[in-house]
Amino acid sequence: MNNLKWYFPKTIKEATDLITKEKVLPHAGGTALLLRNLEKINGLVNLSDLPLYYTKKEDNTIEFGSMNTYADIISKLKKIDTENILLKSLQNSADTPLRNRITIGGSIAFAPPWSDIIGALIVLDTKIILSGKNEGVFPIEEYLKNNKLKQDSLITGIRFNLSKWKTFSYRNIRTKKDMPAFHIVVMLQIENDIILESKIVITGTVNRYDWMKEIENYLKSREIDIIEFSKIEEMVDVKFSGKRFTDPEYSRKLAGIELSRGIKKLVRES
Amino acid sequence: MEGTFIINGKEKTLNFNADERLVITLRNNGYTEVKNGCSEGECGACMILLDEKPVHSCQIFTASVQNKNIQTVKGIGDLYLPHIIQNAFVEAGAVQCGFCTPGFIVATYALLNENPNPTEEEIKQAINGNLCRCTGYVKIIDAIKNAAKSIQKERASL
Amino acid sequence: MKNLNIIGKSKKKIDALSLATGNAKFTDDFYVKDPLFVSFLYSPHAHAKILNIDDENAREINGVVDILHYKNVKQKLHTTAGQGYPEPSPYDTVLFDKKMRYVGDRVAAVIADNKQIADNAVKQIKVEYKILKPVFDSEEALEKDAPIIHDENSYMPIPVKYEPEHNLAAEVEIGFGNMKNGEKEADFIIEKKYSTHYASHAAIEPHSVISYFDEMGRLVIITSTQVPFHVRRIVSKVLEYPLSKIRVIKPRIGGGFGGKQEVFLEPIAALITIKHKRPTKIILSRKEVFQSSRTRHPMKITLKTGVKNSGEITSLSLNALLNTGAYGSHALTIVSNAGSKMLPFFNKVKNIHFLGRSAYTNLPVGGAYRGYGATQGYFALNQQIDIITRKLNLDILEYIKKWHIRTGETSEVFKALGEGTEGVTQTIHSCEMDKCIDLGAKEIDWYNKRKKRIMTGEDKVRGVGIGFSMQGSGIPLIDMGAASMKMNDDGSFNLLVGATDIGTGSDTILAQIAAEVLGINLDKIIVLSSDTDITPFDVGAYASSTTYVSGTAVKKCANKIKNQILKVAANMLNSDEKNLTVANEKITDTTKNKSVTFAEIGSYTLYTKDQFQVQASASYVPKLSPPPFIAQFAEVEVDKRTGKIRVIQFVSAVDCGVALNPKLAEGQIEGAAVNGICYALTEDYKFSKSGKLTNQTFNDYKIWTAADMPEMKTIIVESDEETGPFGAKSVGEIGINGPLPAIANAIYDAVGIRLYHAPFTAEKIYSELNILR
Repeated sequence: MNNLKWYFPKTIKEATDLITKEKVLPHAGGTALLLRNLEKINGLVNLSDLPLYYTKKEDNTIEFGSMNTYADIISKLKKIDTENILLKSLQNSADTPLRNRITIGGSIAFAPPWSDIIGALIVLDTKIILSGKNEGVFPIEEYLKNNKLKQDSLITGIRFNLSKWKTFSYRNIRTKKDMPAFHIVVMLQIENDIILESKIVITGTVNRYDWMKEIENYLKSREIDIIEFSKIEEMVDVKFSGKRFTDPEYSRKLAGIELSRGIKKLVRES
Repeated sequence: MEGTFIINGKEKTLNFNADERLVITLRNNGYTEVKNGCSEGECGACMILLDEKPVHSCQIFTASVQNKNIQTVKGIGDLYLPHIIQNAFVEAGAVQCGFCTPGFIVATYALLNENPNPTEEEIKQAINGNLCRCTGYVKIIDAIKNAAKSIQKERASL
Repeated sequence: MKNLNIIGKSKKKIDALSLATGNAKFTDDFYVKDPLFVSFLYSPHAHAKILNIDDENAREINGVVDILHYKNVKQKLHTTAGQGYPEPSPYDTVLFDKKMRYVGDRVAAVIADNKQIADNAVKQIKVEYKILKPVFDSEEALEKDAPIIHDENSYMPIPVKYEPEHNLAAEVEIGFGNMKNGEKEADFIIEKKYSTHYASHAAIEPHSVISYFDEMGRLVIITSTQVPFHVRRIVSKVLEYPLSKIRVIKPRIGGGFGGKQEVFLEPIAALITIKHKRPTKIILSRKEVFQSSRTRHPMKITLKTGVKNSGEITSLSLNALLNTGAYGSHALTIVSNAGSKMLPFFNKVKNIHFLGRSAYTNLPVGGAYRGYGATQGYFALNQQIDIITRKLNLDILEYIKKWHIRTGETSEVFKALGEGTEGVTQTIHSCEMDKCIDLGAKEIDWYNKRKKRIMTGEDKVRGVGIGFSMQGSGIPLIDMGAASMKMNDDGSFNLLVGATDIGTGSDTILAQIAAEVLGINLDKIIVLSSDTDITPFDVGAYASSTTYVSGTAVKKCANKIKNQILKVAANMLNSDEKNLTVANEKITDTTKNKSVTFAEIGSYTLYTKDQFQVQASASYVPKLSPPPFIAQFAEVEVDKRTGKIRVIQFVSAVDCGVALNPKLAEGQIEGAAVNGICYALTEDYKFSKSGKLTNQTFNDYKIWTAADMPEMKTIIVESDEETGPFGAKSVGEIGINGPLPAIANAIYDAVGIRLYHAPFTAEKIYSELNILR
């Protein structure tokens, strides 16, 4: 392990060359790497000198460089879109010092089941910007499902559209600082007391995440006065593994109650 | 490996292993005011300021923060010239065993730099990366409120 | 208070600034040159015999110095419990055993030039196990065909019942009156089973020890301990090494709570230093602290009460079964305490039976933990009283006030139950329980909330509950604290105490006592504590003893000093001692209006005439253990649909005698209360089916941060305990007893479900609520 070599590339090209050629891992904030067994790799490529701390906003589209930390994203989004689901998901993630260290890029690459970020990125239909072997722009879901995309490639940024949709986030935690057993994210487009569209995802399930398609269909074009919230509760039919010390069946019931409450809250606020 | 760091305002060249965590490097080089309580980024006893932001030094590879600014609790104030925050902790009875205290002082310092007049909720958020098993946090929160008041008073008098 | 200057004031803790600036040194902060590092190999099996250990590959690794295990370390039976001698705990432990009794039991230790080498070498040790059937449940462990956990030659060093062949680590039984008659007198019987769970002390500083030979060849042990003198004795006995050649130093300690009352690392560090003539450093990882240090014993309690319609309890039967885990550390005394601290509270109950037993199981080892059995006992009693008063529609607060023990009264239990054997008769000299209840109830606005089920949202409802208790102040006729003092030429004093400040502030409290007696400022007392070469003896920091026991020793010592100074002053002033008064660092003859300062006296005694050292020492063994009293109130909010619970407010009103330093006393209660609240709601040990602990990190084992905190209020209700130093009793442990039952009672008040089994997780509340529907 002491033979681990550190590389400090100054350009993205240098970094992706290293990642392609050597048996190395990229190092962003390092918090996820500390959980990994590094015995099988030869080196770490430190990304901190790369120009990946940027924020670009064009019309309705916002793009963050992958080295933005959770704290960076929170403070930037607070200024432009307080209802943003990514902002709501990250605000209580981990703790203050960890949010200063965890980067958005590292977090997506690691994407553990207890991730606070994945659900939000999915409902935002986020695009992942890659450099290296798989250079290009890919939908987050494709990135999560296709392991080949991760090979010899570096996340340099994420991009998503800002919207006027109402949002809701619920993390099932035991204490305020806890990795959630599951995370519910909801985005609703409500106009004139009618739900036009919705996007609802639960992460931390045995499938890692599940879209609540049945609920989305039920809500589509529905007047808010005739929503039966108990029905929504029953429609949450997902499997949990029981990780994070929570009983799977209880998790399912709880997810139903909290999801239905979340929608009720958004509908009432509109 | 060998690397240069700016620790409490002084440039230092230190030796460390490639996979070494910053808490270990600092402690091995005499910065024992940085405590190691869990090595898993949960207890906050190892908290330092990295470029003015509070971080768990056990969650950082030393190699990754070369040439950066590192501040420990002693860089905030020492026995001979304590910081207002340190005095506030002492006076409020916020120090029991004191193992977690350097981390709390660091977190408080970062909070009050950014937000000199925090609400109770903001205080609680700012120290949510620090565990204390002795005090039940009551007197720590008191101390931070008092420190904020003292700092404001000091600024007003300048 | 009567004209006190230092006592009763919230003086700054004398080590606080040094700690707040990171100057103060904890064990791991001491520099030793070129130390040996130690990594342990732990048993992956809950119950197994080691058939063979092959350490050859590990020994060949460059940098590995030695590997210790049963083949090369003498097997000397002892207990790791740091208690008075002979200890009331079974001698069932050796440094390295051939038999493994829980997942995490110590197999071997690798000693190497650095920690990484040691960690890697651990993986190279090959162990052949014969796996044995484990038993995890304390009731099953006592059944006839249960696997025997201690089938070797363990024994009890004091004459009490001990049957390892039945996995019975301890048993105690007492009774008064006639249970049958008592039950006959009753209008109804309530019999309930309760259980409490495992917990970690979770002191933020992990267990740490450094050992080395000093320049004279004496063995020095710097260690994170609550019991330095017990460390010296146990190391000496286990290693058969002369006590006179061992010096134990306690530096700053990063929290103890009972977890550092155990001597399980020091003998190994010492052994390595003796064998290899090199300094040795052992610092446990957080995982090791969770798995292989000590825990709070789980307890199963059956409480049966005969009750008259008037509310009078006519019979009380307490059956407590402690799960002591793989070793019997504190197994007898903690189960005893469940009775001895709890049964005297309602001292008018005439017919009492108490059976306390401790069972060995193949789970982590129990040990001392703040509250020490009282926490478990009061969990049951407080809920039982809630049940009884609800059934009879009585006001629970008035009920407690009516029946609790009070000043001038006694209980037969004091005499019957002590440290595993008989106790000591005592009468209560101070008790402000009624005031605690009244002030606490007022603070939480009890009567506007109780039985009101106030809704705070569509599905959210609130309730309030109480947890009352009493503890003790040291162990009578067993604990001993000693102090010595000398005067310096500037009128300052060195105060040497064996008492062990583990963060509680006892160095400050003891200095306050000395300063008050001598009428001087606190900064004139230079405290040095807990160094076995320098300071006098003290049993250590446990059993809520330091202020009461060590504090009395300091007071006695300071009085002796004062008498010596008065004599000198009388000579210097040519006065009669009777006319002298001591105040403001001088001694004044009021008749002559002449005075000498302490500095003048100090200089005079050392340099001027009939020179001598003003010095004294004193010891104190308490004859009593006056109980502090507490009433603790919780307000909770329960989500009726999800079972999620939030503590809204928590109030503690405590009678600890005179609070010598109110802020430090409050700090003890606040810390204990929050520890108790986390224990009630989020702390627990989760085991796999094979007995492996699965949540041995702070990420998985949840203690609270500031962000989780309810509104907290602590009220000090002073009483004057005439037997204590300046009226003090204890305050260290009692605050942890209330949260568990107060929260359980508050949950019942909110939603009508009775939780007999802690902790109260959302899942548990959810499933109880659904049974109710």
